[in-house]
Amino acid sequence: MEESEKKCQEELVALKKEFEEFIYIVSHDIKSPMRAISNITTWIEEDLGSVVNQDVLTNLGLLKNRVYRLENMMNALLELSRVDRTELEFYELNITKMIANCIDLFDRESNVDFHFKADIINENCVTLGVKMQKVIMSVLDNAVRFHHEENRKVFIDIVENDNDYEIKISDNGPGIPEQAIHKIFSIFYTVNSKDIVDTTGAGLAISCKIMKLVGGKIEYSPDVHSGSVFTIHWPKIITLKN
Amino acid sequence: MNQKLVNILLIEDDEVDVMNVKRAFSKNKIMNPLFIAGNGVEALEMLKDKIIPLPKIIILDINMPKMNGIEFLKIVRENEKLKNISVFVMTTSNEDSDKIDAYNLNVAGYILKPLSFEKFVTSVATLKNFWQLCEM
Repeated sequence: MEESEKKCQEELVALKKEFEEFIYIVSHDIKSPMRAISNITTWIEEDLGSVVNQDVLTNLGLLKNRVYRLENMMNALLELSRVDRTELEFYELNITKMIANCIDLFDRESNVDFHFKADIINENCVTLGVKMQKVIMSVLDNAVRFHHEENRKVFIDIVENDNDYEIKISDNGPGIPEQAIHKIFSIFYTVNSKDIVDTTGAGLAISCKIMKLVGGKIEYSPDVHSGSVFTIHWPKIITLKN
Repeated sequence: MNQKLVNILLIEDDEVDVMNVKRAFSKNKIMNPLFIAGNGVEALEMLKDKIIPLPKIIILDINMPKMNGIEFLKIVRENEKLKNISVFVMTTSNEDSDKIDAYNLNVAGYILKPLSFEKFVTSVATLKNFWQLCEM
């Protein structure tokens, strides 16, 4: 029994090493030719000069856009694979202030009405701050990005429970079609074609992995009036494996 | 503006990246003499055998065959004649370990190669300002 356990451990170590190498290859060796495609496309554009068939320019533009998407997807894959290895510092932060700062970042550039309500006793907690912020930013980004109606509203409510902080982020946007709900935490999945909203489709997948890492959860539920509700349960005490 | 332009050595193994630097130089009207080595070993030979005039500035890629950028930089910093050259790392590597290694070896800058050529041209414009200080 012990013998087979030892063998399993060794296999796990070997697999982890192989995975690390794979990530390194993705981040360096694949990015070089990708960059070359993008650069050469720009040079062709420049060298063509001013008298060019509009179709050619459109196609060159599409070519560059797709390489740009490819780069974003590569970066997202890298980020996803590194969730449990990077930015693992615990530090003390004021949750209310942190969320207010996140909102500020969106407030400046979007035409959205934010409503923030906090009902907590211990505003300060020692936690994986960068990770927490990442999850909140991803959900806020979705609420803002996929919302195109007039009178856009996003509600953020935070409640302190015995064991966790419950952060509810809801909006009056279009919501997520029922048949798509089970896919929204998959990487690169987007409800609409990427030609409608140019997005990578990685934020929720990365958030979901972060929530698993910290031992919390993130859930989606449709709002009673249309719109989406994401509920994040961020545990007060986080124990990392290893 | 009749000052002497400093020599620049680019150490880069990817042909397209070499073209990229040349093109970004001409876009920014950078006329400095540019010498090119395909890897660290080749660059050291060029420097030690005085095949090229001593550059004041080196632009260095990290991931290269034979001798990578960090290994090259270690040798340069231990060499009396070469140790004062300003070195700019220019790489795709966003690894913390590479950045730390590079800064520990006293690099003047660490530039991540961007996907778009336009952004690269902007980065090179920033470098130009620094180089002009070296020329005074």
